[in-house]
Amino acid sequence: MKRVLIGIFCVLTLALCYFATSPSQAAKLRPPSGAVARQVHLISSDSASEKWARLGYFSRPLPLGSMLLQDESTSAAPKGSLLAFFQRMGDSSWSTGLHESRYAYDLIESVHVWALCLFFGLAVMFDFRLLGWTMKSVPVSEVARRLLPWTAAGFVVMVISGTLLFSAIPMRSYQNIFFRAKMIMLLLAGLNVWIFHSGVYRRVTTWDADKVTPKAARVAGALSLVLWVCIVLSGRMIAYNWFDCDRQPQPAIINLLTSCVPTQAEH
Amino acid sequence: MSLLAFFQWCEASGIGETIRKSSWLFPVIEAIHLLGLGVIGGAVLVVDLRLLGLGLRRQSAAQLTRDAQPWLLGSLTLMIVTGGLLFLSEAIKCYYHDAFWFKMSCLFLAIVFTFTIQRKVIMTDESRLRPLWSKVVAVVSVLLWAGVGIGGRWIGFS
Repeated sequence: MKRVLIGIFCVLTLALCYFATSPSQAAKLRPPSGAVARQVHLISSDSASEKWARLGYFSRPLPLGSMLLQDESTSAAPKGSLLAFFQRMGDSSWSTGLHESRYAYDLIESVHVWALCLFFGLAVMFDFRLLGWTMKSVPVSEVARRLLPWTAAGFVVMVISGTLLFSAIPMRSYQNIFFRAKMIMLLLAGLNVWIFHSGVYRRVTTWDADKVTPKAARVAGALSLVLWVCIVLSGRMIAYNWFDCDRQPQPAIINLLTSCVPTQAEH
Repeated sequence: MSLLAFFQWCEASGIGETIRKSSWLFPVIEAIHLLGLGVIGGAVLVVDLRLLGLGLRRQSAAQLTRDAQPWLLGSLTLMIVTGGLLFLSEAIKCYYHDAFWFKMSCLFLAIVFTFTIQRKVIMTDESRLRPLWSKVVAVVSVLLWAGVGIGGRWIGFS
């Protein structure tokens, strides 16, 4: 259990390192091909046009090879950069198929929401116990042992479905300010879990049945609660395009945070 | 007043109008709605996993129900308030959307089931109850609440 959490934490750390080192000027480039138009349709709040856009674009994705070829010729992203990688991912037939499909994307998103109840709901219940807001008569270790495996299972489903959703629209997600905030907060939440389990939770036998848990445990519970709430909120906001790269002009700070360098034409 | 006329009146209401005109009100309310969903999920699952024998074991289901009750009621209230606001902003779309009616049916059944049949089974002395019953009740409860969540998500798709 603990090993799984530590493993997840390591993966998230690597992910953040990637984010931190990716060259920001590379973002000058906007997705070639028709990707922009399609993505804008996909996130449009007007559901009717979304429907027709998807039906309309359902026709035939180009074969993988030709997509890559086209990508090579028009791409301005430095080779080997994360942005170039996501761009290739976005132009792949897998990604195109996923975000143009009539049902696959919606189904995966439903799974993501469903797993949210399992993961977020039970994680929050554990936080509530640490804060002494519920199940005060149940020992903390009992809640952890019996409910946290469900939380972990929910988290695995969240990560898998979330990765699939990301792979459907990688370029836009990568440059989405809410997505970036979410990833950083995920990392902090993982750090919080690690600190809690390697710190005060090791001595759980001494405070197991306490109605009021030690301060360190209450702080961990409160932090976890705040972080997960913010993660859910920002996750929901990824769907909206207020701060997207293709909506210029944006304040300089937004373009900095989304590592977006608008071209002259957009000014 | 027919049902459709009522939905049209909702759509035309001042609150619905305000939410539709704002670019951020709908997303913010929707995000809070999603948080409420998560907390309901937790409060429901703590009890249902206990009934299934897959969650907490040493405490009685009745005790856990009492513990989870305030969170269930609190988040349900939050859901109904935020959900009502979202509904006002797009009532006519909901009227023609199958997922909306599916969700409302599940919601109605889930609330009635949770506070009548499930409550009765949980409060019955465990030694006098066939274990199978509590499992059946838990599965029905999970399915109904899952139906509410999935139905809600599909209102957003068309």
